Amino acid sequence: MKQTQNQNQDQDKKQEKKKISLLQKAIGFITYKKTKNPPSFTLPESNEESGQGQDNAEQQDGSAKSDKETDKQSSDSKSRRKATKKPLSPSALKSSKSESDEVKQDFDSNKKILEQQFHLPVNKDLIIRDFSIGNKQPGFIAYLDGMADKVIINDYILRPLFNETNNEMSKNQRLGPLEDIILTNDTKSLKKVSTTVTEILKGNTALYIDGLDHFITCESIGYDKRGIEPPKTEGIVKGPQEGFSENLRTNISLIRRIVRNKDLITEFHEIGEKSNTTCAIVYLDGVVNPAVVKEVQRRLKNVKTDFLVSSGMLEQLIEDNPYSIVPTILSTERPDRTASHLIEGRAVIIVDGSPFSMIVPVSMHALMHSPEDAALKWQYATSLRFIRFVAVLAAAMLPALYIALTTFHREMIPTDLLIAIAKAKENVPFPTLVEILLMELGFELIREAGLRVPGIIGNTLGIIGALILGEAAVSANIVSPILIIIVAVTGLSSFAIPNYNLAFGVRITRFYFIGAGTLLGFYGISLALVAYVLMLVNLKSFGVPFISIISPRTKGSKDIIIKWPIWMQESRPDYLNSPDRRRQPKITRQWAEQDPNDA
Amino acid sequence: MIKEGHFGFMEAFSVMAIVLVTKIFYGSPMALIKYLGTAAWYGTLISLVGALVFFTLLYLLMKRFPQEDLFQIFETVTGKIIGKALILTFGVFLIYKAGINLREFTAVLKVYSMPFTPPSMIMLPFLIVVAVMAYVGLEGIVRVAHIFFYLVFGALVLIILLAIPSYDFNYLQPILGYGLGKTVQTGLIRVAAYDEIVLLAIIIRSLQGLQVFKKIGYLTLILGGLTFSVCLICILAAFQYTVGGEHLSGMYQLSRAIYFTRFFQRIESIFLFVWVISSVITVSFIFYISLNAYSRVFNISNHRPLILPFIFLTFMAAFIPNNFAEIMEIHLRVLREFSSVIFIFIPVMVLGLALLRGKKGVETSGKA
Repeated sequence: MKQTQNQNQDQDKKQEKKKISLLQKAIGFITYKKTKNPPSFTLPESNEESGQGQDNAEQQDGSAKSDKETDKQSSDSKSRRKATKKPLSPSALKSSKSESDEVKQDFDSNKKILEQQFHLPVNKDLIIRDFSIGNKQPGFIAYLDGMADKVIINDYILRPLFNETNNEMSKNQRLGPLEDIILTNDTKSLKKVSTTVTEILKGNTALYIDGLDHFITCESIGYDKRGIEPPKTEGIVKGPQEGFSENLRTNISLIRRIVRNKDLITEFHEIGEKSNTTCAIVYLDGVVNPAVVKEVQRRLKNVKTDFLVSSGMLEQLIEDNPYSIVPTILSTERPDRTASHLIEGRAVIIVDGSPFSMIVPVSMHALMHSPEDAALKWQYATSLRFIRFVAVLAAAMLPALYIALTTFHREMIPTDLLIAIAKAKENVPFPTLVEILLMELGFELIREAGLRVPGIIGNTLGIIGALILGEAAVSANIVSPILIIIVAVTGLSSFAIPNYNLAFGVRITRFYFIGAGTLLGFYGISLALVAYVLMLVNLKSFGVPFISIISPRTKGSKDIIIKWPIWMQESRPDYLNSPDRRRQPKITRQWAEQDPNDA
Repeated sequence: MIKEGHFGFMEAFSVMAIVLVTKIFYGSPMALIKYLGTAAWYGTLISLVGALVFFTLLYLLMKRFPQEDLFQIFETVTGKIIGKALILTFGVFLIYKAGINLREFTAVLKVYSMPFTPPSMIMLPFLIVVAVMAYVGLEGIVRVAHIFFYLVFGALVLIILLAIPSYDFNYLQPILGYGLGKTVQTGLIRVAAYDEIVLLAIIIRSLQGLQVFKKIGYLTLILGGLTFSVCLICILAAFQYTVGGEHLSGMYQLSRAIYFTRFFQRIESIFLFVWVISSVITVSFIFYISLNAYSRVFNISNHRPLILPFIFLTFMAAFIPNNFAEIMEIHLRVLREFSSVIFIFIPVMVLGLALLRGKKGVETSGKA
């Protein structure tokens, strides 16, 4: 009986619980309930000073702490940050650095320093190979796996080292200088850990033998790199087909192959606190104005950044007017073009890992020259340059002129053409500005998408996309057919601009002129043009006015818009103030002065 | 002192040439043809001769003080207070000149190209560009002028050449116009049309010496005078003096007369670019010099904070005339006939004073 009673009681309780839980559920739908989400990851504040890790941990735990405490903590951290921002005196900085940077005369200490520097054993890239030579004298080599050539390490560093030491042991003689034993072509004796680390990062191998007060670094760079290929953005028909690659040494050798001159100087600078990217300044001593080289050196030395991966990044860091829409540094991926500018008296900057060289100082007309100009006869090159100048004007102003013409100055359009335009526009519901903006946007989309789509499909997408989009837009009465012509000509013109950066600038400028033309017709465009030219005349490229030759006026050159015959180009550009102005004698074709029968 | 930089011969020549010639695009030819009829084209040459004489006097003054510009000479010769008063007079008149030039430009643009746009909407963007030009400074203005110099003069030559079919040189008769006496008298009064050359003496320290100043002065005056004369011949030959005196802008009307087949006609709007660009350069230059004058008077080292208030003053000056008739009858007469009281009389008076008092500047070299 008791059992059955108990069972009944349990069933009642269960039913009550069910009732309560159902009720609770029902109420739960209409009442606020705090959801218990698992704690999500939050990025801790970066600790700029050493020893702040603890603070961070505390801060993470500190969610439970009172507001007052956190306020106090933040004010503490603020004050600490302020304190660390106080600059150290240069001498104090130097002494603190030099003390820790010196190579110790002890195997274990030096090995430990390298391990610490490269975060071993977490970091798996650094290989430290221990060995003993001679009378059990310990030593090690350190290199980055993948960056160094193992064949060089085995055959030209380790093998000679062991062979020599064994021989010396057998003869019971002292070991000679290590530089004489190692067979790599370049060895350096480095007394500082930081420079040794930099050498290892480049792909070289560091060698240390117990008792020495320095590391010996041996050249063993051996990472994979792209070969020399034709330039991607500056293809030409007549002329060299070699382009720069990502390897700095290869790029410099490509220039040296063209300019075989003992005065061609290459200087190296390390930029990027974290990336330690090598940048080279290349110039022809005696031809370039020393002030230009000095200025380039000054700017490179004073670039303080953590990371540098391309010449484009460096360009933004060293250009005169970072807010200018027009580039003031010429980028090229062609060694022949770089060489010709070196010969003219300019300086070249090359960034390791970037297949572009930067040429300074440049003026507007240099951006309008194509590498092909040098290889073509002067008549052909000149006519091509005129086409390019027309292309710049069309790319920047054609849509704006069309809007201004059809909106403000219709009297200029011949009657037949005006009727044709009016007929075509009859069914289009949008004003001309909207039509232009729609088509420009479509064109830019196709161009951008064409770049992203891989391989040959990208090009096809561009052509097919433009055709289909244009045709469909006309059929759907979104734009008038004449506008398709305007946008297409504008697009083509922007592709005819020989400099990639300048083409970008012109594309953006187009919208500026469209705005001016829409608001005030030719009057607006004229005002916009004056303001634009004002911006151009105030630009400088490494101290040289950007539109020099025109304003400020300098001595005429024979290679600006009109390319005069090559034998007439006797002097270097005046605005570069080269110490050696004359390029060739007054009579270059001396054979023409001679009597053929006398030869 | 304001840092104005240095520029070469061509830059200074270009800006002065544009400042002198811009008038040809507006009411000046109309006024001259009205006063002198068929003799207008050489009436302006008489003004040119007067202007050359004035410039010679100005050169003598500048030669006497080779280290100083005109404003400094005012102070040296007349003393600080009177000198500053004279500079201020120049500054005020230049602001008025900039404003009236702007108004004249606006009126012409409104009549010929933008009839439905309110004048303030035409003036505001114009003044924004002027403000930017003044912000950049004199070096920027002269460089822009140099770049557009070829465009402005090229366009003038093009209009004159393309309108050849419209010319009938019989319209230039009677050659003596309303009589030689009236022509000479009006020509001499209108020397003021060339008085902007005095601005060159204000920017002399940015030039490369007194010889360059002399060369630029004479050349720009001769170029300006010849351009005026040739343009007046073309306007008279195309429209005859009766109609020519009615056109608000003779050159614009001349460009409208260009007709080569049904396709190549009514191209006058293209020349609007030249009209606008030369006007912007002229007003910017005059505006900048007025800023300079004010800064000199009150020893202000940076002219940039003054730009906005001065733009406002120019805008107000542009609205002084009630209507276009008032611009033509009163303000343009003040600018092109009576402004000589300020721009010509004051420097000549200062030269006289300098000679009387025997004041001389510090000599640098025997070259000047």
